Amino acid sequence: MDIFREWYHDRHRYAREWKEKTGGKVIGYFCTYVPEELIYAAGMLPVRILGSHEPQDVTEPHIFGMYCPFCRDCLAQGLKGRYDYLDGIMIAQSCLHIRQAFTSWDIHVPREFSYFLPMPHHVQSPRAYPFLREELAAFKKALEDWTGKTITDQDLDRGIEIMNTNRRLMRQVYELRKREEVPVTGLEAMYMVLASQMTDKVEHNKGLGEILAELPNRKLERRTGDRLMILGSENDDTAFMNMVETVLGATFVIEDHCTGSRYFWNEVEWQEDRLAAIAARYVDRPPCPTKDWPKRRRLEWVLEMAREWGVQGAIVVQQKFCDPHEADIVAFQKALQERGIPTLFLEFDVTVPLGPFRIRVEAFLEMLRQEDLF
Amino acid sequence: MVVNQADKPKEYWRWTEYNWFDPSRDWRKAKIISGGVDVGSVSTQAVIMLDGELYAYSNMRTGSDSPDSAIKAMKWAMENTGMKMEDLTYTVGTGYGRVNVPFANKTVTEIACHARGANYMYGSTVRTVLDMGGQDCKAIRCDEKGKVVSFLMNDKCAAGTGRGMEVFANLLAVSIEEVGEMSLQVEKEPPPVSSTCVVFAKTEATGLLRAGWPKERVLAAYCSAMAHRVVSLLERNGVERDFAITGGIAKNIGVVSRIEKELNLKALKPRYDTQIAGALGAALFAKALVEKGKG
Repeated sequence: MDIFREWYHDRHRYAREWKEKTGGKVIGYFCTYVPEELIYAAGMLPVRILGSHEPQDVTEPHIFGMYCPFCRDCLAQGLKGRYDYLDGIMIAQSCLHIRQAFTSWDIHVPREFSYFLPMPHHVQSPRAYPFLREELAAFKKALEDWTGKTITDQDLDRGIEIMNTNRRLMRQVYELRKREEVPVTGLEAMYMVLASQMTDKVEHNKGLGEILAELPNRKLERRTGDRLMILGSENDDTAFMNMVETVLGATFVIEDHCTGSRYFWNEVEWQEDRLAAIAARYVDRPPCPTKDWPKRRRLEWVLEMAREWGVQGAIVVQQKFCDPHEADIVAFQKALQERGIPTLFLEFDVTVPLGPFRIRVEAFLEMLRQEDLF
Repeated sequence: MVVNQADKPKEYWRWTEYNWFDPSRDWRKAKIISGGVDVGSVSTQAVIMLDGELYAYSNMRTGSDSPDSAIKAMKWAMENTGMKMEDLTYTVGTGYGRVNVPFANKTVTEIACHARGANYMYGSTVRTVLDMGGQDCKAIRCDEKGKVVSFLMNDKCAAGTGRGMEVFANLLAVSIEEVGEMSLQVEKEPPPVSSTCVVFAKTEATGLLRAGWPKERVLAAYCSAMAHRVVSLLERNGVERDFAITGGIAKNIGVVSRIEKELNLKALKPRYDTQIAGALGAALFAKALVEKGKG
């Protein structure tokens, strides 16, 4: 599993080397509603733009104070030139905060290609399918105009195949996390998904294949302990995950994040009209709360996962000021608690104060375990 | 050259550090001598219990060195008892410096310890505990055994905590132990200071003094702001009878009475020093761990 951690930490070197090796173009994207199938079909490398969890002072003039720390951290990477190898940037509509990061990046560090894909919000409407299908056609044309090369059905099939394989293999890893003694930690699983968002998935799939051959027999040198779920906004806070799993001895057995299951859960199901098939996949995927109304479909999905993965406690996290997630928190905590799953709410920022978070998580775990003390 | 040196300023924030033990009991006859040490950000307490009954304790200021504070506090609690460190059967460390208690056999968070301690101090009817500590503040709900059911801690800053009150005691040159009483000497309750940040609140208070407000009124405005702040924390976590307050601020009648008024609920009257709740809970856990063979 170490390769995923290395790819995640060396994301920029990886992308630069990929460019040198292939001569291909790299597109940075801001939200997981971006249809990577089309980018792979065009022979390019999609990489998700994520922050670096360092304090910074470059975004203040460009982004509102009450926008989330994640969008701020992402924009900082652009303004600091860390993604200077990107040939293009794009976003699919999700929330206003991340869109401002994209727009500001586009103004201050423009690339050769820039694209805003109006992913529909009302994914619960049947009209979302044809709407997105047409938008995907427009996006495909924009890519073709940029490269001067036509994207054929065969290319699309290749893109779909790469993405679907990746999803299928990661699901297999997640299945193993249902075991009483899990063979992967939550942190390792997080690195795996994060790495898939920033590497060539052909290579990532190869890595997954090798790991899956070993994983069913892998024994961790630690007990699984308390089975936790973590859910909420974007989360690549590896320092937090590591603290909970190494210092406090619990294990994250499942999560609901766009840096995790929400990103890869469902596959593109074959249709003659490839764009319609891809559109259906994104309309039907586990939703981001920006798109999860009027019904709360994500809640049903989270409860189902909690049940299947034998979750004993849930940590609900939110990037500070992430209103869409905040609007869900009360309902989610209530529903989980009604099913006997205690919850702990934490607000994440660019850097996480490990001391104060440790005491909260430790007290939460004591609440789950406290029998010995009485 | 002679320089006129100002007198060393009086430390109004300083609260009484002391130790206590029950001379009527013989610790040598006890089966389990359990210890609890709560190394907080501001104060440290050590508690010694004989078979689950309070025997001795100390309450002092935390120094810059947590392990040193823990040892000092425990030795001070043992003063005049003839007990030595090695006589302790089992010790649990808690508080923000809990991992730095060198002689502790185990650590438990102060959240669990305060709930357990409050259960001992106030009885099994306590369901809501508000711990107002030196640099943080916790709303805890617990069951009849003192097990934590849910909790919330202040997130953003240290406003509404003991440290903030110390700053105000110094600013107004009023002993910290008199702040609460003095804040009640107002005919009409002033509006609370609006800043929650201790530093900004201090600036605001300076402005009020300049505008001619008497000290009593400024203290009333600050105590009231502190009460507002913790009540919102309590309400987020839910409030159920009986209600008890632990920690240093529980001794401040100005804050306590305002919390009671806002909640429309009386806090139980303390029978022990409210600052020892955490260490007391730790000592009780130490005993339980020994009995369960986990010690």
